[in-house]
Amino acid sequence: MTQILELRGVKVYGYRGDRLRNIDLTITPGERIALLGSNGAGKSTLIAVANGSLTPDSGIVLWGGRPITHLRQHQRQAIGTLWQDLRLLEELNVAQNVNAGALSSRNLMWAIANLLYPLEIKACKECLKAAGLSTKIIFANIRELSGGQRQRVALARLLRQRPELILADEPLFSLDPFLTEEILNLLLARTTRGPVVIHKTLLMSMHQPDLIHHFDRVIGLRSGCVVFDNSSDELDAKALAWIYQSE
Amino acid sequence: MNRISLTPPILSLLPALALVPVLAVVVTSVHVGGLQLLFEFFGAAIQPSLDPTVVKSAWRGLQITVATALISWIISTLLGILLGIASASVVWQTCIGKSWPAFLIRRILTIPRAIHELLWGLLLLQLLGLSPWVAILAIIIPYTTLVARVFSDQLDTQDRRALNALLQAGAMPFPALITALGPPIVPILMSYGGYRLECSLRGATLLGVFGLGGIGTDLQLSLQSLAFKEMWTALWMLAAVMLTLEQSINWLRRRQRANETTTNQILITFALMILLMSLGLPWLKGLEIDLSSSISWNPIPWPTLAELIGALNHLQWLKLISSTILLTLLASGIAIGTPPLAMMLWPSRLGIEVQSFIWALLRLIPPPLSLLLLLLSCQPSIAVAAIALGAYNLGVMGRLLKEGLEEQGNSCWKALQSSGAGAHSSWLYGCLSAQSPSYLAYAAYRTDVILRETVVVGLVGGTGLGWQLIESLGSFNWAQVILLLIVFATITLTGESLSDYTRHRWLRSTPKPPLVLDLQS
Repeated sequence: MTQILELRGVKVYGYRGDRLRNIDLTITPGERIALLGSNGAGKSTLIAVANGSLTPDSGIVLWGGRPITHLRQHQRQAIGTLWQDLRLLEELNVAQNVNAGALSSRNLMWAIANLLYPLEIKACKECLKAAGLSTKIIFANIRELSGGQRQRVALARLLRQRPELILADEPLFSLDPFLTEEILNLLLARTTRGPVVIHKTLLMSMHQPDLIHHFDRVIGLRSGCVVFDNSSDELDAKALAWIYQSE
Repeated sequence: MNRISLTPPILSLLPALALVPVLAVVVTSVHVGGLQLLFEFFGAAIQPSLDPTVVKSAWRGLQITVATALISWIISTLLGILLGIASASVVWQTCIGKSWPAFLIRRILTIPRAIHELLWGLLLLQLLGLSPWVAILAIIIPYTTLVARVFSDQLDTQDRRALNALLQAGAMPFPALITALGPPIVPILMSYGGYRLECSLRGATLLGVFGLGGIGTDLQLSLQSLAFKEMWTALWMLAAVMLTLEQSINWLRRRQRANETTTNQILITFALMILLMSLGLPWLKGLEIDLSSSISWNPIPWPTLAELIGALNHLQWLKLISSTILLTLLASGIAIGTPPLAMMLWPSRLGIEVQSFIWALLRLIPPPLSLLLLLLSCQPSIAVAAIALGAYNLGVMGRLLKEGLEEQGNSCWKALQSSGAGAHSSWLYGCLSAQSPSYLAYAAYRTDVILRETVVVGLVGGTGLGWQLIESLGSFNWAQVILLLIVFATITLTGESLSDYTRHRWLRSTPKPPLVLDLQS
């Protein structure tokens, strides 16, 4: 099957040793990949390189066979990221934050108008519902929301973007078991509801090996190197220990 | 249900609407003959006069301005600290258990603060004649009270738990105050002190424009004789000093953040102040400006009640006050709205650098000079005065916005870029959104400054209270002068209260405002 994302010989240097060392990786449409690794193994760096926000020191990242750096700005809409720190816009309300996901296909005047008078409320509400949020909070300020609600707003923004590939950086971090299950189900769902399309290609970094059975493939990172890349069925206790083993 | 939401980024951009009426008026009042002169002025920027006589004269003027600024800065900072301590509630409460003396001192200090240094300069010129002390005192009087206000505000808003703990343990009031409040207040004071030195330099230049000596006088004389090349010689020299000062202060701030100990900071600062003071006085003497010469005292004849009533009836107060307020609003709109608008429209690295350069140039030319330049090709109006005043303050606001954005980090901007948002939209959402509460808080303070500065362009541009004041001073109508000063001080203090309220409102909504915002009040 044709890959949608490919990393070839990617290296990222850091102050205290390399953050990524010679990574070769391909992601094909429909894959659901769990990215495992201890803190500092390079998971967030890998996601930042994959979405084009971090340029590797060497190697190349290809999207649909073209270097990611050659993509036109609006073409980047196809790659959606759920950031670990969410990166919500604290000064804006929920609708304006959700609409920020649609900026790739809108012009500057639309962006300015949305700051003055939140636009396309129907689409925002659909995304909020799909993310499991009440539409009553649509005009609430981001600062007024709980941690779980903020997580879901970030997810709603991602759904508004309608990406083909979702890169999720530890989205289950610090969530209670109930919320973990819900967010995971949302990310793994293969549904189309009104304007909301949830694509099935997912790369998600996480620390919960007990949830691996939800994924098709597992990539294990250790000290910036891929040390495991196989079907999730192949991940046993020995492999897990190998991934999380400190140098 | 949709609802209009005046979000902080929109509120940062909206003031730019002031450009529409202002430019409409200015464009219709331009006369082509004057435009030629304006082109000559800008053309002269790349070929300043290198005539040794011109360079020597500008160099002498620059030295006078810098020495005046240094002496005024040191004296006003030291006096300001003392008065700040005397007007801090926490000090009186700790020492005598009551805070009313602090309140009383604060009230008294509002009066000298409400009057712009230029007005002090013009008044002192009447009282003392043409003495080198006029420029120094004109800066010292308002700046001392400004430093005192900031210092007492900072002392009163510090966390008092450590102080209470020390007092509980039996410490004497003053040692407890120094131990508990000294370490957190020193870095703030250092940072603010640097900013005030920049203000002193700008103040000394401005006073020169009105005939009180230094580089400002050189600039004014070159402009009057349309000697643009000579004017640029002085402007570039002034730019070099300003830029060096700005960079040095930024460097010191960064160094200060990089964990320099408090004791070292205090020692370095006071050593530097003493050194500069001991250099400043002989420096001026070397330039044949003797501060030890005697000062003549020419008291103003106090007007009678009948004269005051006559002045009250004679002046068109409504027109004077409304034009001052309109000028403040238009100039503030230009100063606050233009930098975010320009950066949004040209957010690339090259764009920001080009804009920074333009802002630096705008900060360089004192508003009365830019107004005179504009008047070469436009008829006098509030709109032209607003452009001159707005352009200068735009330079300050632009620099502040850029610095704030640099400190803020770019994670949200990167997130939006990676999601495919365009350059303009991702700057608006990812950069300006987070910065706008701090920016608006500073904008509130800047509006207050612009209100004080209306007097400066008013004097030249024939508008508002400032213009009337110079007319009344020129005709020695002291009844009018006194009434105008009272009205101006009242408007300024009202503006200050409004600005304080707005500023605190915005700062409350900012989780971590840049340090500079707390200080420049």
